[in-house]
Amino acid sequence: MKSKQIKIALRNCGHIDPERIEDYISYDGYAALGRCMFEDTPSSVTDKIKQSGLRGRGGGGFPTGKKWELCAASVSDKKYVICNADEGDPGAFMDRSVLEGDPHSVLEAMAICGYCIGADEGYIYIRAEYPLAIKRLKIAIAQAEEAGLLGDRIMGSDFSFKIRLKYGAGAFVCGEETALIKSMEGNRGEPIMKPPYPAQKGYMGKPTNVNNVETFANVAAILNRGAEWFSSIGTEGSKGTKVFALAGKVKNVGLVEVPMGTTLRELIYEIGGGIKSGKKFKAVQSGEPSGGCLTEKHLDTPIDYESLKAAGSMMGSGGMIVMDEDDCMVAVAKFYLEFIVEESCGKCVPCREGNKVLYNILDKITHGKGELSDLDKLKNFGNIIKSTSLCGLGQTAPNPVLSTLDNFYDEYYDHVVNKKCAAKQCRSLITYRIIEENCVGCGACKRVCPAEAISGELKQKHLIDQETCIKCGACIKKCRFNAIVVE
Amino acid sequence: MSCSEKQEQIKKTIAGICSEFNDDPNELIAILHKAQGHYGFLPKEVQSAIAERIGVPASKVYGIVTFYSYFTMEPKGKYPISICMGTACYVQGAEKVLQEFESRLEIKNGQTTADGKFSINTLRCIGACGLAPVVMIGDKVYGNVKTEEVKKIISEYN
Amino acid sequence: MERINNYEQFKKSSSGIKKERESNSSKVIIKIAMATCSIASGAGPVFDLFKDEMPKQPKEFVLIPTGCLGLCHSEPTVEVTLPGSDPVVFGKVDVKRAGLIISDYIMKGKTVDCIIEGN
Repeated sequence: MKSKQIKIALRNCGHIDPERIEDYISYDGYAALGRCMFEDTPSSVTDKIKQSGLRGRGGGGFPTGKKWELCAASVSDKKYVICNADEGDPGAFMDRSVLEGDPHSVLEAMAICGYCIGADEGYIYIRAEYPLAIKRLKIAIAQAEEAGLLGDRIMGSDFSFKIRLKYGAGAFVCGEETALIKSMEGNRGEPIMKPPYPAQKGYMGKPTNVNNVETFANVAAILNRGAEWFSSIGTEGSKGTKVFALAGKVKNVGLVEVPMGTTLRELIYEIGGGIKSGKKFKAVQSGEPSGGCLTEKHLDTPIDYESLKAAGSMMGSGGMIVMDEDDCMVAVAKFYLEFIVEESCGKCVPCREGNKVLYNILDKITHGKGELSDLDKLKNFGNIIKSTSLCGLGQTAPNPVLSTLDNFYDEYYDHVVNKKCAAKQCRSLITYRIIEENCVGCGACKRVCPAEAISGELKQKHLIDQETCIKCGACIKKCRFNAIVVE
Repeated sequence: MSCSEKQEQIKKTIAGICSEFNDDPNELIAILHKAQGHYGFLPKEVQSAIAERIGVPASKVYGIVTFYSYFTMEPKGKYPISICMGTACYVQGAEKVLQEFESRLEIKNGQTTADGKFSINTLRCIGACGLAPVVMIGDKVYGNVKTEEVKKIISEYN
Repeated sequence: MERINNYEQFKKSSSGIKKERESNSSKVIIKIAMATCSIASGAGPVFDLFKDEMPKQPKEFVLIPTGCLGLCHSEPTVEVTLPGSDPVVFGKVDVKRAGLIISDYIMKGKTVDCIIEGN
């Protein structure tokens, strides 16, 4: 399963004991930090990160070295380094894996970043839902401080750097850096207009550099093995590797790290082992919840920031959900919208109200009450929300709807005009029926039906009353004679 | 214990928690985490005690409690059932699992059973997508949960 | 770990730690994934079994709890490296399989099923 993989961010995951700092040191841990402080200068280290071509792995894709440079250029008596570990995407666990498997790689990189931009304090903003990652980070910080590799005068140098944890409280919008900073300051996590960028005015009004966990996990490896080595991996505009949480209807569910430029087909079929239980591939969703659903015809798209965007999706932070013929794309779009409606912070109107409108239309369609004009409305509203929302959440929120409308128009049409759901997921559009020839009248379905919708005497043909049927599917599971069908 | 006495007790506990964070309003979220850890939920009395102690309007505290999904104003059951509704779990049938729990316990998502034993809530991805669909009861994680297994899982706690 | 007070000391200490790790190659190295999903699939009892049973075997070993290898579909996973051999990863390891890994693979070098291909 691993042939196409190259592990950089995950280099130590599964190989070292994350609760022993010696294990990390034995794989060149803290060597990069030592070299930076004693053999190099902040600007030259920042240049190396720039040359490597590393871009933000949290979804934005902003060049990391450039970000550090901007923050370094801000003049202030106090600066902060923040690690965004508020992995709130529904279906992603890359950051959790790094923090649980190799916490020191993040701590070391934060200290290096602090050295480059002139900060002496760092915070990790982490989800409270990750108790094990929190525990291991606490152990790692304590061990590094005790060993003199974090804290006051690191390795006896003039550079001091402290790291503390701050807990998120379950708000997806806090992945946006200005919202994250608001939340760290004890407020509702509502994004603010940029500029000023956090590099000028961030946490507590001071210049702040925010990077995500995976971005940081690459830093020490780049400095240990050289910017040229790193930039030799990947494509023209996207260097290095990307970690993906491959999940959904794929055989080998798991965490993979592949060079940029690997195609979706290679990822799903060679590394992921193809689709589960012989079903047919239907779509893959990357960059969730705001990425697009790509289809069969996109499978040869190379995975990099630009190509995925051009195809109508986005890199995102690394969730990769594979769907098969049993998934209804209208219902999937509705699922994502429901998430967005719940997570929209409510500050700007297009996102707060617009996405609700989209959701209501989708809900109507999945209940068989859609009209053809609804499809145009979805498109119009979607585009308005995209172009007028304040932050990245709203600007990308309609992507799942717009991309499924583009790629699966027939399925929407089927729901709206023929009132059919081919994937048999939308309850209002399906019926359960007993095939008379196959029914032996055993009564198993009648006994299991919670709505008492099935009638028929023992050894006689049974019948489902469509009015009472709640379409739970309990009968079909009980029937041993293939006598019940969903239509 | 009379009502005002109870309020006094809450104030004392909250004062202890807030002082760990130097009564700093910037630490409000951390304070709420700690308070919820202590009480299990954040009723109005607790919120106003915090607001008073750190010197912010009660509306601000309420605004934060309702903004973040981790905070709750409802007491949870003795065995809180959390059903993951992340995408991976969703495409593997988490919605049906939720419905099965709801119908077996005769409560809706977000509610607690009358005897205070079980409560159901959904959460967004606990990062165990490899085991989807996932259900957590307390700290115990159940993976690859099928609707047929729900009855058995509940019976483990009866 | 001792406190590092200067760069020279760090380099010395670091290479010492590296040598110590390399010296482990003459022992059986057992790595058990202990991430959230591994633990949820039952890695705890597997780890305990190795911890209890290995000291009874006449072989030198190191037992390392690690993060995950990303093989969620096969958790709990155990990676065993016999001296002079490539690492082998076992998937879906329960207590029974863990016993077999010790008695057959580690002690006798016999293959045990549940090896994950392509590692």
